[in-house]
Amino acid sequence: MNQVALITGGGNGIGRAVAHRMAAAGMTVIVADFDHAAAEQVRAEIVDADGKADALSVDVTVAREVKAVVGDVAQHFGRIDVLANIAGGSFYTKRIDDFTWAEWKKVIDTNLKGTFLMCREVAPIMQKQKSGRILNTASNYGVTGSALRAPYSAAKAGIIAFTKSLALELAPDGVRVNTVAPGPTDTPRVMEKETPEGRRQRWSSAIPLGRTGQPEDLAELYYFLTTPESAAITGQLFHCNGGLL
Amino acid sequence: MRLQNKVAVITGGAQGIGRAIALGMGREGANVVIADLQGERARSVADEAQALGPEAIAVEVNVASEVSVKRLADQTFEHFGRIDILVNDAGIYLKAPVVSKTEEDWDRTIDINLGGNFLCARAFVPAMRKQKSGRIISIASSIAHTGAREFADYAASKAAIIGFVRALARELGPDGITVNAICPGSANTDMPRRHRSEEETMARLRATPLGHILEPDDIAGPILFLASDAAAYITGQAYNINCGTVMI
Repeated sequence: MNQVALITGGGNGIGRAVAHRMAAAGMTVIVADFDHAAAEQVRAEIVDADGKADALSVDVTVAREVKAVVGDVAQHFGRIDVLANIAGGSFYTKRIDDFTWAEWKKVIDTNLKGTFLMCREVAPIMQKQKSGRILNTASNYGVTGSALRAPYSAAKAGIIAFTKSLALELAPDGVRVNTVAPGPTDTPRVMEKETPEGRRQRWSSAIPLGRTGQPEDLAELYYFLTTPESAAITGQLFHCNGGLL
Repeated sequence: MRLQNKVAVITGGAQGIGRAIALGMGREGANVVIADLQGERARSVADEAQALGPEAIAVEVNVASEVSVKRLADQTFEHFGRIDILVNDAGIYLKAPVVSKTEEDWDRTIDINLGGNFLCARAFVPAMRKQKSGRIISIASSIAHTGAREFADYAASKAAIIGFVRALARELGPDGITVNAICPGSANTDMPRRHRSEEETMARLRATPLGHILEPDDIAGPILFLASDAAAYITGQAYNINCGTVMI
C-alpha cells in the first residue's frame, strides 16, 4: 500500500533530506514548509527523481492553518502514515536577560507548540487507521541545555516529554511516537553563519566521530523509525550526533 | 542486502535474541560467527545461517575467559580474515535477593555480562582499528534503567555496559568505529520463563503500552540498522526497544 508521509520543515536542511529519503522508499511525501518556494523546490526535486510528492505552505504555530492543511491532506490522500515534525529552529543566540517575551514565544511556539498542533490534528487520523508513526525533532541541547539558547533548549526538552506522553496515549491504537535528537548538523541555515573550516575547528575534537552531521545521516534514522524493523519502539529518544552526547 | 560480505561475530548467538540477530545478519548478507558457551546449539544456528547463503561457523566460547575469547578471535580471523561487526549478547541471569546472593554468583554475572564486553572488545578492536571501520553493538537491558528485584547483579552489569559503551565510543570514534547499546525490554525467549509459569510470562509480555509482544526479531531489526551504513553517524547511544514500557 502506498504510504503517505507529511513532513513539516520539509523545504530545507534535515526536513528536505527526510523528504527525499521517504520518497526514495516509495512513500508519497507531502513537503510542508513555512517557505512555500522551498517546499515547491523539494517537491520538484522528488518528482524529477520519479518520486511522488506534493508541496504546501503552513505556519505550524497557527492552529487554524494546521487544521486546514491536515484536513486537506487527509481528504486528498485518504490517509497519513507518517508525520515528521521537523519545522523548528533556535533563531537567536543570546543571554536570557536579552530575550524579549515575543522572541521567547517565537522559539517555544515554533518548536513545541507547532509539534503539539500538528500531532493534535494528525493523531485522530492515525488512531482511526489503527496505524501510524509520528517523529518529533528535539536536539542534543534538549538534554544538555545550552548557554545562549535557553528557550530552544526548553522547547526541545518539552518535545521529549511531550513525545513520551503522546506515545502512551496512542499506543493502544498501534500508533508509535518517537523523538529524533540531531546533534550539530550542516544544514544550509547553519552553514550561512559558519565556514566549513570554522565548524571543523569548533566541533572535530568534541565529536568522537570527528565530523559534524549531514542531513542525510539524520534522514536514515527518521526513515528507520518508520519501518517495521522499529515496530517495538515507541516513546523513545534517538540521538544522532557522532557521539557528542 | 545491507551487510553484504561483512563478517559479524555474535556472542550468545545460539538462542533467543542472539540467534535472531545472527540469522538477521545472515539474511542481510553477512558471514557470521555464532559464538556461544553451548557449542552444540551454536552449530545448529550456524547451519541455519549457512542455509541463508553466506558462510557461518560456530565457535564454543566462554566470554569471561581471556584464553577462550582469544581463541574466538583467532578462529574468526583464521576463517574470515576480518571482523566488521561485534555483537555482545552473551549474558546470564541468576535470581536471588542481594542479602543472600553468593559472591560466586555475583562474580559470574558481572564477569560474563560486563567482562565479556571488555574481553571481546579488546580482542577485536585492533583489527577494526587497522581497517578504520567497525561496529560494536552490546545488548544491555531495560533493567539497566529500572532495576529488578532479586536481579541486582544483572541490573548493575547491564547499566555498566551502557557506561562502558559510552566510554568505548569516545575511544574508538576517531578510528571510524561506532559503539552502541540496545536496551531490550522483556522478550519472548526462554529467559523470562525460567522463573515464571507460561501463563504468567505471556500475561507480562502482553502488558505493554503497544500491546505487542516483544519478539527476538523486534530486537534484531534495530541491531541490523545500527550495523548498517545507514547508522554511520550514530555512536555512544543506548537505544530502548521495549514496546513503550520504559521511556528514559
